Amino acid sequence: MADDEFRQQALQHLDALHNLAVYLTRNGSEAEDLVQETYVRAMRFSHRFQPGTHLRAWLFQILRNTFLTFYRLREREAPLSEDGVPEGGAPMFHDAPERDSERAGVHMDLERALARLPEEFMTPLLLAEVEGLALEDVARIMDCPVGTVKSRIFRAKERLRVYLKDYESDTKA
Amino acid sequence: MTSERDNRYGEDEELGRELRERLPRYPASAMLRAAVVQALEPESPRRPWWSLWLAPAVSSLATAMVALLWIAPSLLTTPAADPLQLVSRAVVSEHARNILWGESRPDVVPAALPRAMEESGVALNWVFTGDDDIQLVNAKPTYVEGRRGIELAYKAADGHAVTYVILPTGNVVLPERGRVQVDRWRPLLRKENGFSLIVWRQQGLLCLLVSDLVSENDLSRFKEYFVKVRSSTEPYPVY
Repeated sequence: MADDEFRQQALQHLDALHNLAVYLTRNGSEAEDLVQETYVRAMRFSHRFQPGTHLRAWLFQILRNTFLTFYRLREREAPLSEDGVPEGGAPMFHDAPERDSERAGVHMDLERALARLPEEFMTPLLLAEVEGLALEDVARIMDCPVGTVKSRIFRAKERLRVYLKDYESDTKA
Repeated sequence: MTSERDNRYGEDEELGRELRERLPRYPASAMLRAAVVQALEPESPRRPWWSLWLAPAVSSLATAMVALLWIAPSLLTTPAADPLQLVSRAVVSEHARNILWGESRPDVVPAALPRAMEESGVALNWVFTGDDDIQLVNAKPTYVEGRRGIELAYKAADGHAVTYVILPTGNVVLPERGRVQVDRWRPLLRKENGFSLIVWRQQGLLCLLVSDLVSENDLSRFKEYFVKVRSSTEPYPVY
């Protein structure tokens, strides 16, 4: 695939990559750095990409590997916002408020619950359910068998349900 | 309500749909898109087909002109540096000028800040004005490598000068190599022309802190200064 064509096709997935980067890093600036680094690496190794295979999945794989290599240590720290104030259970950004308070509550809960999942559970869940990737592609990205992906998605949903019930109880209390 | 929620999340399909429909999505900003596009631009235009034979011909000609080139070194061009290096060098030069200029012309900071913000296109919600170790002594608009930004000059208690420059990010990509963990951040630590630089991104802006603190002991102090300005200064672009 010619460089120009590769570049054009790769850029079509920028929004999806940035979205995953935000959920992985929980930090706007780091997400942007991670996405830029992903594209620089993708261009550097574009000769390794096999035309006909799934470019979107390949880019997600580079992004996740870059995240694990350079950002993983930060997972152990409390998530912090730009100004260093701990975010606690708050949503990551506040630029898309919803008019309907119940809907807003649901998306805040979903975001908070998702942030509590380990990366190994959150990534396959987002890739399969939100990005709509096939389980085989998710398995390639996660570098594990399809059965493991299925099991992680199942467990991720199980945990999400528990967290969401917790939030619901808190709201009631 | 609770039972409604329980039911809503009770089935895998329902939860999957909730995630697809209600989980907020974070698309890339126009600034990031522009930065990625620029970062992916090829460094030089594609060579035409006849370059296969042209290159050796030009090479031969060049060999014949070695003597001439030797006496005219100004004709030799150096390869273009990457954007981060260009910005780093320019900021170091600015810092070097500050060391001389700042000493002789300290400004009244409270008066200088609004003007600097107005003319730089960079506003500051909060700014670190100093403590016992380091003091803000000047603020002014600056122009670095085609970027308009703001420059804050600090003076440490031991006499060292520290310059903090905030610019639009443009096409500058911060590589992973050279990143260091400082407190809860991972900025890039660089050396440039005998000066130390700490570079990071904040609110979509490129921030550079430069000083002549280069030895191992000095660097730990420089990192402390970084933590002070990073945690107490909040810039945002207003252009």
